[in-house]
Amino acid sequence: MDRGYLGFAARRVGQALVVVLLAYVVTFVVISVLPGDPVTNTLRNPENGFTEADVARIVAYYGLDQPVLVQLWESLSRFATGDLGVSLRSNLPVSQTIGDVLGSTAVLAAAALAVAVALAVLIAFGTQYLPVRAQGVLRALPSLFLSVPNFVIGLVLIHVFALQLGLFRVIYPDSAWATSFAALALGIPVSAQLAEVLTAGLDHESRQEYASVARSRGLGRTRLLLRHLLRPSSLPVVTVLALTVGELLGGALITETIFGRTGIGSLVESSVTTQDLPVLQAVVSLAAVVFVVVNLVADLVHPLLDPRVRKPPTRPSAEREVLAQEVSTP
Amino acid sequence: MSGTVTAVRAAAPAPGRRGPRRRGAALPPPTVVLSLIVLAVVVAWSLAPGLFTGQDPVAGVTSQKLLGPSAAHWFGTDHLGRDVFARVVHGTASSVSSALVAVVIGVVVGGAVGLLAGFLGGLVDVVLARVVDVLLAIPSFLLAVIVVSSLGFRTINAAVATGVSAVAVFARVMRSEVIRTRRSVFVEASFLQGGSRTHVLLRHVLPNASRTVLALAVLQFGLSILVIAGLAFLGYGDPPPASDWGLLVSAGKDYPTAPWLVYAPAAVTIATVLSVNRTSRWLRGTG
Amino acid sequence: MSNTPPLLRVQGLSVAYDRTEVVSDVSFSLPRGGSLALIGESGSGKSTIARSVLRLLPAGTARARGVVEVGGTDVLGLSERRFRPLRGRTLGFVPQDPANALNAVRTIGAQAQEAAALTGERDARARRELVLETFSRVGLREPRRVYDAHPHQLSGGMLQRVLIGLAVLPRPALLVADEPTSALDVTVQRRVLDLLTGLRADLGIGLLLITHDLAVAAERAEQIVVLRGGRVQESGPTAQVFSAPRTQYARALQADVPALNPDRHRLPLPARAPAAAAPAGAAPKIEVRDVVKSFPGAGAPAVDGVSFSVAAGTTHALVGESGSGKTTTVRLLLGLDAPDTGEVRVAGERLDGRSHEQLRTARRHLQLVYQNPFTSLDPTWRVDRIVREPLDRYRVGERAGREERVRELLARVGLDERLARRRPSALSGGQRQRVAIARALALEPDVLVLDEPTSALDVTVQAGIVDVLVTLQRQLGLTYLFVSHDLALVRQFADTVTVLRAGRVVESGTVEAVFTDPSEEYTRALLRAVPRPLGVVPRQPGAPAPAPAPTAG
Repeated sequence: MDRGYLGFAARRVGQALVVVLLAYVVTFVVISVLPGDPVTNTLRNPENGFTEADVARIVAYYGLDQPVLVQLWESLSRFATGDLGVSLRSNLPVSQTIGDVLGSTAVLAAAALAVAVALAVLIAFGTQYLPVRAQGVLRALPSLFLSVPNFVIGLVLIHVFALQLGLFRVIYPDSAWATSFAALALGIPVSAQLAEVLTAGLDHESRQEYASVARSRGLGRTRLLLRHLLRPSSLPVVTVLALTVGELLGGALITETIFGRTGIGSLVESSVTTQDLPVLQAVVSLAAVVFVVVNLVADLVHPLLDPRVRKPPTRPSAEREVLAQEVSTP
Repeated sequence: MSGTVTAVRAAAPAPGRRGPRRRGAALPPPTVVLSLIVLAVVVAWSLAPGLFTGQDPVAGVTSQKLLGPSAAHWFGTDHLGRDVFARVVHGTASSVSSALVAVVIGVVVGGAVGLLAGFLGGLVDVVLARVVDVLLAIPSFLLAVIVVSSLGFRTINAAVATGVSAVAVFARVMRSEVIRTRRSVFVEASFLQGGSRTHVLLRHVLPNASRTVLALAVLQFGLSILVIAGLAFLGYGDPPPASDWGLLVSAGKDYPTAPWLVYAPAAVTIATVLSVNRTSRWLRGTG
Repeated sequence: MSNTPPLLRVQGLSVAYDRTEVVSDVSFSLPRGGSLALIGESGSGKSTIARSVLRLLPAGTARARGVVEVGGTDVLGLSERRFRPLRGRTLGFVPQDPANALNAVRTIGAQAQEAAALTGERDARARRELVLETFSRVGLREPRRVYDAHPHQLSGGMLQRVLIGLAVLPRPALLVADEPTSALDVTVQRRVLDLLTGLRADLGIGLLLITHDLAVAAERAEQIVVLRGGRVQESGPTAQVFSAPRTQYARALQADVPALNPDRHRLPLPARAPAAAAPAGAAPKIEVRDVVKSFPGAGAPAVDGVSFSVAAGTTHALVGESGSGKTTTVRLLLGLDAPDTGEVRVAGERLDGRSHEQLRTARRHLQLVYQNPFTSLDPTWRVDRIVREPLDRYRVGERAGREERVRELLARVGLDERLARRRPSALSGGQRQRVAIARALALEPDVLVLDEPTSALDVTVQAGIVDVLVTLQRQLGLTYLFVSHDLALVRQFADTVTVLRAGRVVESGTVEAVFTDPSEEYTRALLRAVPRPLGVVPRQPGAPAPAPAPTAG
């Protein structure tokens, strides 16, 4: 672990912190220009059951009677100390509201990621083993996956497996079957990008001179694939994997709504409907934190996986610049 | 690049081997032709929906509700007895043009940011790069959701939100393309021929950098259709009786006995996006 | 009559990619322990033949027909399972670009183990010993360090030694070397070729050498097969093909190789531009004095006190290997970089330390032709616009006049007017370089800097470009600064020369003096690296065509 690497790591961590704080500010700015007035819309809505005293307390807490810049500063200082505020709807701390549903979303996202990686590896390896003529179908799959709205995948899965085959029941969304199909719905679009990058990587590497030279040393296809091609091909996959975290969080919004799960996604959906701004602000900021941390880890791991990177880049690697074209979130 | 074509003397006009596929050289592959036909139909639907269906997309005949697909109703009818095909065709303009708006916002704003950052470099680049990092850090669908919820639930706002969430991607790609082009030998050569900075930026850097960005814009068009459909599905677009594709699917999902209500608009969406992606791939010269 | 089949027999080999045939009906054979060179320019199909023999053609798109027999077995017909035992053990492969021929994310040792495993040795430690022994044998001084290193930690020459070592380790009967030195510096090239021929002799390995370099082929192989457009033009013993080429193409090819024709472009001095014979003491056209340039982050300065001067109307060559500072010197001369200290004068005027606007004026008289015509032309522009760009930028004359001038310039560099509406992607490498020269000439400069203008091109194309440059110099009295790593070409083309190494001047003087009587060891090493074909003496001026030479072994 040389000094150059530690310096690089320190710079990247610093950048990540700045990005998280700025993301909070951007979210705040976007949310606070909401045309609606949260005080009248939410607090004084008789359905929510706030007393006048509650309303006064909340208005004072958020400084809703103060100028926007003061509100931003107060809100940002609370965020920096880990205080996410109080839900306008339930009057519970936001951290508790999020904590209640975080586990469910984490399970779903992890399962979806597993689905995505498994599918991507199956597709990519398949293209390396099948004869050229038979590869066409496999190579078209990622493109197809990228063209299907994820709510359609969810609805089709529910229609076929819940309603027609009766494998699971929509009223028990947390059953193993229901979770698996939700993970499938969330994971399939994500797998497309991973499969594209991994396939492109394997294709690229197998065209390199070193692959020919290794074959000339008598290596068979499987050993060539596992020992030589897989590692350099998976370097960009690590980068894309980190970028897809954002997509999993965004996709959870739709998937959880369709499958009737309670989670971060459905929390966002209900907070948007009820204009529960503190919850919205907290969820979006946390999503940014998760995204930034995961990408930070990917960036820090990259030089360790690739011996060629002597001087790690100060900005996300050039490779990412290129990959940004391939990866965008539906 | 191994385009060196050996000629004993340079007299013989020898066409070099071409890297990326260029239009006009040969007929595009059949799947591309099919995609272009699909896109032509979609454009026609959005420009003149009345030519393709005589039925009313808004007023239904209640006695004919929830009928399956037939010769009279290609995509069946919904719970109010409206012709689903007519609703899909009339929803095309909104679904497709909003995606176009989103792409234009992404290309113009993102492209300008990337161009400035890449060409000027220095402090401008550092600041803009950080802004782009921030936009990239907020998951783009979440960003679109909070933007649309702050602007109000209308399809045009959903389009703006989708465009905003795509700015970062375009800025990144434009920046890296500009930097790549700026470092290329022919740009230095132009300086040596007396080219000014503006000349080099407008005549050399921009045309070369925008090739990639335009191909990406086509890809982003397909993605935007999906994102806007997703927002409409969640009810963040124009309310019924508008018939955006995402909204149609969302309304149809409540009638599990009438699956065509979901499958028909979904199939149209998929066919459109698939065609867009295929075309983008062809334009980028990778197939 | 011998019963043992030849080591390699290729009969009627044709290879097609998709539907395009790139190799047609090629036949040759190589006896055990013999050496044969396949030579040809790009597109001649030589590498495709090598890959057919090794069965490394891209699966699915390439189809090979005909017979390729290794030790009497037809390998084209074998299944991959049956062919695999031959890989490495019978057929060894030394690739073209050593930097890409080893997996960058694995250590050299891990990859060497794969080669050692082919000997059947089961113990990993014994295999490691075998590898280390081989590394010593191919002249790697620290075998242990090399074993543990990753490829990017070694130089190109060392990597090529590793690759040669790994190829010979399982003692194959045939070594296929595909342009084994074209990515290396000249002095390294010579040492690697010596190693290859030495091992071949010691171990009795047959060598199939693929090269574009006629001089290398003639120096290293007993037999030669000349290829063009996928067909055999001529084949036979080296000396015979050399001394009495039968086909027009082989003759042209031979005439175009600088190493074999040192005086092709030389003219008696009085016949050259008058300035060349100018009295001593006239002000030099280009004067570079004591320039130093360091780049932040790099250790030693890229250019460290370089001085030279060029008389008007002559050609001065800047010679050196990669890292010698020749490219940096050129950039300092053109004002693309500013020197830390020292001064640059062109036509008596100081160029360093000028503002952008002043440089713009100076550059009208000072133009550059880049090394790689594939990157120096904007791919989105058409030829006429490219050539017209400098005229437009400096607003020379009327629009119609500029278009007339473009036509004239294209004619001067030998390009057909019909090419004017094409984009660079529709031109060959040689045509592109002619476009670049036309563009550089548009403003009627006095000085043209030529940065390895032919190194990306085939020899026959190179000869055409050099012809154009020589003619232009004679007609327009141009002064050339010619950067090159190819000493044979320098000898053909330049009047004076400066040899650079690691940013410093090693030696400087007239080409005659430096080439016939070099005073520095480094210059001698560079000159030794110029291939000398087996038994073929470079043609001396005035001497008749070389006499047939005896076949050498």
